[in-house]
Formats: sequence, C-alpha cells, structure tokens
Amino acid sequence: MLIQLKNIIKEYDNGGVVTRVLRNISLDVEEGEFISIMGPSGSGKSTLMHIIGFLDRPTSGKYFFDNENIETFTDDELARIRNERIGFVFQSFNLLARTTVLDNVILPLTYGKKKDHIMLATKALEAVGLGNRLNFLSNQISGGQKQRVAIARALVCDPKVIFADEPTGNLDSKSGATVMNILGRLNSEGRTIILVTHDRNTAEHAKRIITIKDGTIISDEKNHHQKKSEIIEDDLEL
Amino acid sequence: MKAYFLQAIRGIKHNKSRTFLTTLGIMIGIGTVVLVLSAGEGFKSYINAQVEMFGSNTLSIETVVPPSTKDRNANNNTGGNSANNAVPITTLKNKDIQDIKTVSNVKNAYGAALGQEVVTYGNISKNIFIFGADASRFDIDKGVIASGRPYTEEENRSLAQVAILGHDIAVDLFGENDPLGKLIRVGNYNLEVIGVYEPRGSLGANDDQQIFIPITTLQKKFLGIDYLFYGIVELTDGNKADATALDVSDLIRRNHHINDPTKDDFSVKTQAQNLDTFNTILSAVTFLLIAIALISLVVGGVGVMNIMYVVVTERIGEIGLKKALGARNKDILFEFLIEAVLLTLLGGIIGILGAAFFAYIIAKIAQSFNFAWSFIVPIYSVVLAVSISMITGIIFGVFPARSASKLNPIEALNKE
Repeated sequence: MLIQLKNIIKEYDNGGVVTRVLRNISLDVEEGEFISIMGPSGSGKSTLMHIIGFLDRPTSGKYFFDNENIETFTDDELARIRNERIGFVFQSFNLLARTTVLDNVILPLTYGKKKDHIMLATKALEAVGLGNRLNFLSNQISGGQKQRVAIARALVCDPKVIFADEPTGNLDSKSGATVMNILGRLNSEGRTIILVTHDRNTAEHAKRIITIKDGTIISDEKNHHQKKSEIIEDDLEL
Repeated sequence: MKAYFLQAIRGIKHNKSRTFLTTLGIMIGIGTVVLVLSAGEGFKSYINAQVEMFGSNTLSIETVVPPSTKDRNANNNTGGNSANNAVPITTLKNKDIQDIKTVSNVKNAYGAALGQEVVTYGNISKNIFIFGADASRFDIDKGVIASGRPYTEEENRSLAQVAILGHDIAVDLFGENDPLGKLIRVGNYNLEVIGVYEPRGSLGANDDQQIFIPITTLQKKFLGIDYLFYGIVELTDGNKADATALDVSDLIRRNHHINDPTKDDFSVKTQAQNLDTFNTILSAVTFLLIAIALISLVVGGVGVMNIMYVVVTERIGEIGLKKALGARNKDILFEFLIEAVLLTLLGGIIGILGAAFFAYIIAKIAQSFNFAWSFIVPIYSVVLAVSISMITGIIFGVFPARSASKLNPIEALNKE
C-alpha cells in the first residue's frame, strides 16, 4: 500500500471559530493507480491533496506513506519526502519568472542529493517533448508548454506519486489534452497520479474517481470508460 | 551552497536599480569608514614628513606656565604652551640654548621666536610673520634654500639686517624679479634679502609666507625682548632621546633656579612624545568620524532589512513553491540571508572603491599644495570594511530571512 489514510480530520481555527474541512476521510491508494479527486470548490479536495502531499498535517487521524506513519516525521523529513518521492503540478504553473526552462526543472534537484542536474533535467524535459526549449525563459513559452515544464519539474527527482492540482484549469482544450495525455503516459509507465479537479471531463482521464463533498467522500468508484487523449505531437509551436 | 548563491544572485539581478538604492546607505557608511582611515593614514604620513622637516632626532623645548601659579590652577599638571596663554613666559634665554649644546648626545640646538610686521617692497606691502632663529637652525632644519645663502652665526651675533624669504612671500613681493641683494622694508628697518627658500608646504603657520631673520635681530630690533619662544635640540643618537631630554631638563632647571620639577616653566618633549600627542588627537577624530559612519551603516542596514521584507512578500509564492519542491526551512533561510549579505557586500565594495577614489583625489589635491601627503588605503581598513558590511547583512538580513523560512507553504502557494 502506497498511501493509507485512516479517519483523517482537518480543522482550521479562525479566531475561535473552528471550521472542520475534512471529516473522517479514510482512503487507500495502491502504487500505480491514477486517481481523480473530484468535488466543487470548498469541498475540501485541495486540503486533502495538501495533506497527502505533506504540505499540511491532519488535526487527527493516521497517514501512512509507504507503510511509514508520517506523524513521527519532522518538518525537514517531510521536506525530504516532498523532494524525493512526490512531485507537484499546479494550476498556475508556478514557474520561476525570468528563469530558463532548464533552471526551472533543475530547482528541485538543488534541494536534493542527486548529481548530474543538467542531464536529469534535460531528460525530464525531453520526456514532455520540450527538449528543444531548454534555454527559453519561462515567460517566452505558451501556457501549455509552461505546464509541461511544470510536469518535467515534478518528474525530475523520479517520484513515486505526482499530484496535479487542476493542471488544465488555466489551459485551452488542446493544451489541456496534451497535458492529460502526458499524465496518462506517466501512469502507464507505472507512476501513481493523483489528480484534483472540479471538472468531470478532466476527472474521466483517471482509472478511479473519488468524489468529495463537504469534507467527506461521497463516492469512490472505478472509472470503466477511462478517456484517452489523442496524442497531439504538434504542440511545440510557441 | 552554490545553489543558495545562484538563487540569491538571481534575486539581486532581477531588480538592479532597487539593489543600488538599497545598498546606497551601506556604500556611504563603508565608504566613510575607509575614507576616514585612509585620510587618517595620509595625514599621518604628512605629519611625519612635517616632523622630519624640523630635523630628525630632535627634542623640542616649549615654555609653559608653571602649574602651581595661583590663578592657573585649572591648568594643573598639563600646563600650557605659553604661546597659548595671555602671560608670556620670559625665562627661556639664548644662554640656555648655548648651555644645552654642551650636554652629552646633543649635536646642535637653536632658539626661536616669532614676530609680526608689515613688509614692503616697492608699492607692495604685506603683514606677515617674521621667524627668528640662530644660525644653527640651518644645520638642523631640512628646508632648502633655493637661491642665495643662509645667514652666519657672526651675522646673528652682530644683529645683521638680513632676511631669507619663504617661497610665496618672495613671489608676492618680487614676482619674476630676483630678490637677492634687494632691500625690503620690515617695520622700521631695511633688511637685505640674502636667500629664498624652496616651497615646503605646511599646515597652520605657513612657512612659505614667512621671512626668516637672525634671532638677535628679531629680539633686539623688532620685539624688544631677550627671551625665546621655544628651542629645538638635535641629538646625535635618537635612541637616547628620553635620557637626553632628562639631562636637558636638569640643565634648564639649574639655569632657571627651579628645585621642584612640578614648578617647571618649560617642557622638553621628544619627537615620540610630540607624535603621541598628535596620534591621540588623530585617534579621537578618527573614532568620532567612524562612530558617525556606523550610524550611517545602521541606517543602511535598516534599509536592507526593509527591502528584504519587501522581497520576502514579493516572492511569497516562490517560497511556497520551493517548499513544495522540497526546500527545508533552512534552505529558504540561507537563500535570503545570502542575498542580504551579497547586497551589503556589494554596497561595501562599491563604498571601498568610492573611498579609494576620494582618498586619491584628496592626496592629489594636498600634493598640489606641496603637502607631503601619501595616498594610502590601509589593508586593515579594507578587511574591516568587508567584515562590517557582511556582518551588517547578517544582522539585518536574519529577521526577514527567518520570516521567509517560517512561511506556511500552502498559504504561500495560494498567494500566487
């Protein structure tokens, strides 16, 4: 079991007013799954992703990652896990401005122990079809390409899980399709993908769809008609 | 470590004009420190050269008001140079100087006094200082007579009406013409010009604007006195200066019939003591100026701190991202701390270069006025400046850097 959540509760205390965002979430994720966490905004899906992604700690409940209880981990150890074992893709790309595509992908490597930064980053960029954009600045490329740089950045440390938070939210349908196609391919290569989205259409790319509402899981089902994007190889124009 | 520097340099390069303005305070502060120390060294080199001009290995004898004098109690212990007091001390005589020449280790000595008269040649008149000394002065003082000759001891004894002109006063009175052999009117007497000095440059009393005449001529014909203002003693062996100073003091005490050394009406100082006095004053002035410079550094440091807080706010999304990608709090802390230190270091280096430039200009200007002023930027001042600027960066960078490292990654990410 890669991820095991048991009775996760998350509460925020806003000046004495306690808001319970996650109510008793239990969830198992096997290695190699492609999961969509779906739900309207305010449902708690982002909070859930932050907790699974070690960016936040639950108020109560147990979280085992690779059969280790993360409760016992220090902040520095969580940073190490974020660096080595998971990768993030965000809706707004979050690339460093006025920095080359290559340097953006190298960034997570600077916080890790791996060597050969340039070689690893180049390989990751080639895997998302951007091997010819290494020295472009992050503001000189299109939105779709930016998100692919972000995927390369999530990929560069060879993580077990990739978390994608609304990865197509800021993209046109064609670029969005390319991004979803890449995520699908990464999954078929054995990588676990956890996708957070409010959009049914995007969620349909996953093999399993979990729906959240008001902080509880209301459905968790296999997706029997998983979408396959057409491979669009000509998305390399600026 | 290299990655921290790359991130920090990226930050600095992104906003060049703001970087410059931020570091301005540091530049001024560090620049002032280096300039003060450099100019201090230059001034020292000048003073040393000045002291050398009086002759190396010398003692100076000054007259002082005896500290026990009833209405002078305020001056206790220190005494005061009689030239600075309303009551002249009239006890230092030519005979003292002649007697001092017999003390062992004394090579030569002269007494001196100063007067003020109107000097006229043709239709040009000037009110100037007249410096009187006996002929021994020409053996001790390093001033060079450019044309003509010094007066002799015979001329001194016979109250000869001769004068040697300082360089500037010679130009003022005679312009292009040769002053040698001409008669100038000094007060009520005509003096023959027998020599002209080379320019020598000086602080305070300008030697180039004075005329130099035999001491007896000055005492008897102009001032109507029989005493000296001060004396200079040249030594054979400068290493025995302290012992010789005691011998000379004993002799003058005997001549002046003084039994109690605390009632001395004179003071014998070695060159080292004179330099000590000067160095004490210079240190005090240096200390004061550096204290002022430190205030500028604190202001500059606060400026850097302020900007670093702005930078942290600006890059809040970036900090969140870096944390999501695996940066530890410590990584973020170092990135911002190094950025702050690079900022202040940059300011410091520009400050040092600026200070070196100004110190060079000051030295050139001083040299153009014939001051023997060297251009020196002491290594210790550069080391000090670099250290101070880095420490400033650490002190004022650590709070913004800590606030950056403590940011919650989710909140930071959501700010983007």
